[in-house]
Amino acid sequence: MTISIPIGLLFSVSGTDKRIGIDALDGALMALEEVNADPSFEFELTPIIRDPGDSLSLFHKFADEMMGELGCRQVIGTVTSSSRKEVIPVVEKHDALLWYCCPYEGFESCENVIYIGSTPSLHMVPLFEYVIPRFGANAYIAGSNYIWGWETSRVARELITACNGSVVGDRFIPLGSEDIGRLIEEIEAKRPDFVLNNLIGNSSYAFFDAYQKLGQRNPAFLPENTPIVSCNIAECEIDSIGVKALTGHFTTAVYFENQSNAENQEMIAAVRARYGLSRRCSNYLVSNYTAVKMLAAAIRDTGSDKVSDVRPNLLARRFQTALGPLKIDKLTNHAALRPGVGRFDGENGFEIVAVADELVEADPYFVHFDARDFAKGLSAKGATQQQHLKVVK
Amino acid sequence: MSYTITPNFRGWRAVIVHRQSENVERLVRQLSRLGMDCEQVWPKLSQLSDADVVFFDGDNGFDGLFPWPEGHAPVPMVALLGSEAPGRLEWALRQGVSAHLLKPIGSGGVFSTLVIAVANFTQQQMLAHEIAELKTKARLRPKVVRAILSVMQSQSLDEDAAYAFIRSEAMQRRQSVEALCESDFFNQPHTRRHKRV
Repeated sequence: MTISIPIGLLFSVSGTDKRIGIDALDGALMALEEVNADPSFEFELTPIIRDPGDSLSLFHKFADEMMGELGCRQVIGTVTSSSRKEVIPVVEKHDALLWYCCPYEGFESCENVIYIGSTPSLHMVPLFEYVIPRFGANAYIAGSNYIWGWETSRVARELITACNGSVVGDRFIPLGSEDIGRLIEEIEAKRPDFVLNNLIGNSSYAFFDAYQKLGQRNPAFLPENTPIVSCNIAECEIDSIGVKALTGHFTTAVYFENQSNAENQEMIAAVRARYGLSRRCSNYLVSNYTAVKMLAAAIRDTGSDKVSDVRPNLLARRFQTALGPLKIDKLTNHAALRPGVGRFDGENGFEIVAVADELVEADPYFVHFDARDFAKGLSAKGATQQQHLKVVK
Repeated sequence: MSYTITPNFRGWRAVIVHRQSENVERLVRQLSRLGMDCEQVWPKLSQLSDADVVFFDGDNGFDGLFPWPEGHAPVPMVALLGSEAPGRLEWALRQGVSAHLLKPIGSGGVFSTLVIAVANFTQQQMLAHEIAELKTKARLRPKVVRAILSVMQSQSLDEDAAYAFIRSEAMQRRQSVEALCESDFFNQPHTRRHKRV
């Protein structure tokens, strides 16, 4: 009889971040089914799916249920930092493993988490390396009023100040709020070089829409003059934002659908076969898919889903994935990845305008980073030869 | 929203005064993630060498554990606490703790504890320095009064003008008013030459 291994899939597919949650869950489920259909895996992964919506306490409750009575030693999930922080004490209590696959603000390195997402050294830093030399260092920052918005904005401010730029304004609005009229008025009055978007979900989508209208009214705010730059916008949000509103704006990510590696071509074909021809691949879908595949490989190698077996196996490997080559750092449990910058080019998706030459180690505590050196690097090397990024277009 | 520089502990050295244990291993692992070097010692810290911070066992620590007088640690002190017995807390407090970390030590909490410990220690040092300065000033107050009286008499000035004169002399010499007055400068005959016209 085939052994069945329960895998927790804990995503909000009904809350403010549901577009990302749905994409992440779909990616994980797809990988799970591929593993179960593959005879080289002598076990079956049984998905245990829970949707906490926007309730943080349900994240805690469902995580405890999964890892307690349902016996999950491996849980893939959470999107927002607030929800991850709810789940971490639970994975520690049960000595289970949480696979977290989203960009976040860093300053964390938990023994019971594998981080496939990027921290600011892999999102904000490469984004600014590209944006500041081209548009200037004076920014307006719009953020959602919670830890991601606050901390990414703080990091941005540190980098901008080091580059002799200034934050001409910043404003934080409640999660889920679409009341962004004040933001637009301030941006128009303060004339930044670019707008950093640290909003999430509906707030972010409403913001793109209103900014497009501002650009129609005042050409200074067309994307070629004053772009919106983001660290977390992905292909799964295109329909919610609208192709026109997103066109010309920049985002950084560790994956773009347009990247050319062979594993990604297979991925895209598989996603279209399963979810329909119009389905796009996003960082969230592919990262969660990749997490399940990495986990399955480690379970096959070690014959166990225990954290004490899976973790050392993971740390010793290098993976070839749709994201690109990937390895998990032994010290921080974070993935080394290849960050890039994409400019949204209408129906063609994100045109990759810059990408790291090789894997960049995660630096969740910014230990090996100095904002002054970053600024010096930008002014010394100019716009084309950056520390991490190779400009491709 | 205030702007802060990201704290960075790269290249810092920590001394961990605690018997070898899993807690210490976890602490060392977390400190290495912050770019720090660690040295574990027990049962006695004979010299601090070039450490930037001390983590110590609040549960089993004893008098004479450190090579400095109680409460006079030259670097931030972080207590590692399992026991919350008041006697133990009192002992830890007497060592001059800047922050504490609860056992079992996990991967969360080390960075924030370090940031808070360093901020508290810096604040304590600054306050201690200010208090010492104020104490010196208070001790030298009689000397200042004497100097004011002397200048009032020798230069026929009122009290405020005499003090203004003393202050300006001190500023010219880049000395504090108290230090200049302590030197008996204003009781010497040559000060008369500085009489203003």
